[in-house]
Formats: sequence, structure tokens, C-alpha cells
Amino acid sequence: MPALVPASSQSSDDGDLLYSERPDWNDVTPLPQYEDPNPIAPIFYSPEYKDATDYFRGIVKTGEKSERVLELTESIIRLNPAHYSAWQYRYETLLAINAPLDVELTLMDELAVEFLKTYQVWHHRRLLLMLTRKPAPELTFIAKCLQTDVKNYHTWSYRQWLLAYFNDDELWSGELDYVEAMIVDDIRNNSAWHHRFFVVFQSGIREGETDRSRIVRRELTYVKQNISFAANNPSAWNYLRGILDFNDLPYSRVEDFVKLYADASNDAVRDVVDLENPPPSKGAELPCPAAIEFLADIHEKEGRALQATELWRSLADEHDTMRKKYWEFRIREGLKS
Amino acid sequence: MSTSSPSSELAIPLHVAYIKALGDNKDDLAYHLTAHLRLNAIYWGLTALNIMGHKDALPREEMIDFVMSCWDDEAGGFGAHPDHDAHLHPTLSAIQILIMQDALDRVDVHRVVQFILSLHQPSGVFAGDQFGEIDTRFLYCAVNALSLLGQLHVLDEAAKERTVNYIIRCRNFDGGFGSVVGAESHAAQVFVCTAALAILDRLDVIDEETLGWWLCERQLPNGGLNGRPEKLEDVCYSFWVLSAMAILDKIPWIDADKLTRYAYNDHPSSPSVNHAQDLEGGGIADRPGDMVDVFHTHFGIAGLSLLGYPGLQDLDPVYCMPAALIEKMGLRKPWKALERRTA
Repeated sequence: MPALVPASSQSSDDGDLLYSERPDWNDVTPLPQYEDPNPIAPIFYSPEYKDATDYFRGIVKTGEKSERVLELTESIIRLNPAHYSAWQYRYETLLAINAPLDVELTLMDELAVEFLKTYQVWHHRRLLLMLTRKPAPELTFIAKCLQTDVKNYHTWSYRQWLLAYFNDDELWSGELDYVEAMIVDDIRNNSAWHHRFFVVFQSGIREGETDRSRIVRRELTYVKQNISFAANNPSAWNYLRGILDFNDLPYSRVEDFVKLYADASNDAVRDVVDLENPPPSKGAELPCPAAIEFLADIHEKEGRALQATELWRSLADEHDTMRKKYWEFRIREGLKS
Repeated sequence: MSTSSPSSELAIPLHVAYIKALGDNKDDLAYHLTAHLRLNAIYWGLTALNIMGHKDALPREEMIDFVMSCWDDEAGGFGAHPDHDAHLHPTLSAIQILIMQDALDRVDVHRVVQFILSLHQPSGVFAGDQFGEIDTRFLYCAVNALSLLGQLHVLDEAAKERTVNYIIRCRNFDGGFGSVVGAESHAAQVFVCTAALAILDRLDVIDEETLGWWLCERQLPNGGLNGRPEKLEDVCYSFWVLSAMAILDKIPWIDADKLTRYAYNDHPSSPSVNHAQDLEGGGIADRPGDMVDVFHTHFGIAGLSLLGYPGLQDLDPVYCMPAALIEKMGLRKPWKALERRTA
């Protein structure tokens, strides 16, 4: 439910006056929602909202595009950020009167933080950015929004759009650091892991990143390290699979690593730190079902059907009983081949 | 919000009363702040009533009149509310409502088709309206609406191909689908992509096992379903996840018992937090303890129908409409829900 903000909280000199009470709006004929009462038609409770939308209908009818229309659409948006006609008309008005778009963006900064989960806020921003073409400050702004809502779907999607649309090397240059910081902040943030994959593997090859095997090694080290910090993290295991799938690498490449997590015990004595195979941290809940699953996949791909079946059985009966039917499906399929 | 009497029953009469009363709260600010969803809300309410076996609970003529009052004659589509600009989502809702009310003849099919086609982007996705927001949700709305109107053929082979290709490009490394190319996998987007492919007879592009796995991974230890890893469960995901799984014929991979008990039973650990359903005023919330709304009421009931809950009508997961209607229209695609249990 959007916060209720009375019209008086805007930057207008007219305090608490409704548009119907303002002399500078005298010339506009407000149009009420309905001519005839209709049982399904609403009776407006909030005088401010009725007033603003009546006047909105009035200026839409006359086609007015002016400064005061910006004030009016702002009133409506603050009362109801999902009123997409108001957004649409506001955008057209901005263009028609050649309004300064950086001023608009600053206003949008404020609204975005308040109405983070509204599509229109982000779409309006996209339209503005396509005109202002100044994406760099946006990254800072997006980071600020993500501080308050670290997994906001629209916000991350907007960041991806911004990077891909402008496709500027400078814009991309800080991105790996940024997503790393987000993962440090919350290692289980699936949006951050998804974004990392997007940045590393799905946005072309930038200068300094042409050695793809180096990139793959770097990413494998990175994800393994993060799995060692938090073993039961679905995002990280998906990421590991993603690296191997996307680069056509065999799962068996990480067999030694996966085995460390598929075991119930974590008491192997390790005198030498093995960077290739960082072990589970103390207190990790083992065995890790995702690791058992991964190991089963490795066995399956390597033709070791019996071992795979054993692991799937252990998942069905003990380690992931919720998905029993899925694991039994894997067993059946495995037996076929 | 609810009583503490143990119960594992869906309180159908209460939910029917809740939906019927929705239009009564016109003095409520909340009612008109959700004007931008009004037509969609009527669709959610009407579908839920249909599935609960009370399809005539709301006055038919009034509803049809209201739908038609949302017609935007300039654009050739329906807005969510009178005076709102036409948009794909309420246009689909309008068509769905009129079909359920056996009044599809009220639609100017030609104009609606033109409206829908005008939103088809070169990339293959659809915009929601002339404002230009793109999302695989709108792709689904377009394909669904065209199909319900019997006009899917207006998408020629090339148009269909680029639509399918856009969906393929939305597939992520984890096997799921996002809202646009590059966006994170999300259960609701997985549903719209899967259902759109079903309508277009192109489920062949889906790796069913991987996607089925990603979907059954949405089930949390408490039995509820979430929309992406490490997020909270929400009753509406009962629909997004289950319907996609029904289309892929993988519903058995979900622990149906645990899901039903999570949403509709008492919680011994927190007796004050009961069902996701409100046993006093009716309606279903996103999770036990929260406020109800018609969106979650609809999707909660739709999910239960797919799980074979006794006493409910069959729901077609591809179109999210009563299955009997879709079958009568000759539009049924392959999908499989759980067997309807007898009480």
C-alpha cells in the first residue's frame, strides 16, 4: 500500500488548498470519474485524490502540457505511484515543455526510494536516462536504493539495463567490485550472484578480459571460496554449475572440491591450504544436499550409475526428503541409461 | 485475524462472501488507490469464484457493463479502470472475464488484435502499453489474449519465431526465466514464459528436467514456496510454481501435503499465527498472519485446485481460467494437475 501523502506536502505555495480551491487552476474544468452512479463505481474517500484526478482528467481533455501539469501529476504520483496514465502524461509533458531533465531525475531520486516496488518509477527513469545519457551517477543512485532493499527485482533489472544499454567500458569497470561487495554483505543474495554471472559471462568481452580461461579459473576460485564460507547456499552452487555449463566444462573438474561437502564429517586434517579445494568452514552443516546432488551428477556424467543412484537414494530418504519424488525420478532415469 | 480452532479446511463460503463484499468497500481509500488494478482484480475474484463453484455469485450484467466501461476507444484495448489508458494486462483480464460471463461477443476483436500487435517489439517481446515497459509478463498476456480470441494465427511464422526467441534469450544459467533478457530467474516469470510457450506449442525449447528441478527447489523446509532462492515464501507462488510444473507435468515433485499444511493449517509453534486464510472475514494472504487480498485469494485457490483439493473445480494452468471453459473452446494444451481428491 503506497504511503498517503497529502497534496500539501509538495513544493507548492498554496499549502493545503485543493486544486479546486486554487485561483491559478480556475480555468480548468475538472472532470469527475462518472456521470452516472454505477454500483461498481467507487465513491472517492480521499478529497485530495478525487480533486487531483478530476483536474487530471480536465487537462488531459484539453491536452494541456505545462509546468503546472508537472505539479499536478506529481500530486497524483505521490498519492498513487501506480497510476500509469499520470506517469505517461508527465513524461509527455516534460518533453513538450522542454523541462530540465536533471531536475526531474533529482525528484525521481526521492520518489524511487519511497516507491521502490513500483514498476513505473523505474520505467520513467529509463526513459529519462535515454534522453539525458548520463549513466554514471545512476550507478551510485542504484547502489543507494539497493542498500534499503538488497534484492529488489526492479532495481537490479534496471542496473542491468543501464549497463547493457550504454555499454560503456568505464561503466562496467567498477561492476565486479560492486557485486563482490554486495555478496560480502549478504552471501545468500541471489540477485547479486545472478548479476555477477551477467557481468562476467553475459555482457560481451571487455578489454583485459580476453583470456577466458583465466576468467573461468578466477570465477571457480571465487565461488568455491564462497561455498567454503557458507556451504548450504543455493545461489553459489547454481553459480558453480553455471560456470561449468556455460563454458562447456565437465563437472568432474570440481570433483575433489564437491566431495569435501558431500561428506558428513569435516575432520580431514589439513596442514596445507589447498586453494583449489577450500574445505567447509567449522560449523558447516554437512553433508550439504547441493553437494551430494552435484557429486551424483558427476558420477552420472562419468558413467558411474551405481554411485549416482546411491547418492540420489540418500537424498530421497534422508538429506532432501521434501523432493523425494524428484530424486526417485533421477534414479529411474539413471537406471534406464 | 483468525480463530485458533484447528482446521485444515479451505473455508469456501467465507472466501465467496469475501469476494462478493469487495465491491462494497467503496468508501475505503484502499479501494480507489487500487483503481489501476480494478479490472485485474475483478478477473481474480471471478476466477476464484468459478473454481470454488460459485460462478454466479456476482451480478453478471453489472460486471459486463463495468468491463465495457474500461474500453479505451482511442487505443482499441481495455484499461484497468474507466478513463485509464489501454494496457495489455487489463485487456487480457477483460477478455477472460467476458469469456467466463459468456459475453465475448461484446469485444471488438479486430481492434483488440490491432492493439496487441502494435505492442509487439522487434526483439519479440511485447510492451505493456505505449509507455513502452517490456516484460515477459506482457508477452504472455498478448499470446494468451490472442489465443482466447481465436486469433493466434495473426502472428505469422516469423513473428512467432522472434517471440519464442526472446523467451529463449531470457533463460538464465540456472535454467529459470526472467522478466527481460538478463534479468534474474523468478517463479512468476518462469510461469509466464512456460505458459506462453505452451500456447505457442513450443515447449520443446525448455529443458524440462532442469526447469522442473529449479521449480521444485522453490519449496522451503516449512513447505511453502518462494519465487527465487533465499527469499520468503508467498501463497501466490503456489500458483506460479505449480502451474508451471503442471504444464511440465512435474507437479509430483512438489510435496503437496507439506505445502497445503503450511498455508492452511495451524502452526503448533506459533498458535496465534494460523492459516494464510482469514477464518473470520474470508480471503487469503501472502503468508500466515498477514492481511488478505483478492490477488492472493485467487492464486491461493488456484494453487489448491492444481493440488487436487476436494470440492474445487479444475483450473487450466496455461490460461489461468476454468478448465471446462478452455476445453469447450478447444484450447486445451497438455498439462497435468494432481487428481482431485474426494473429501
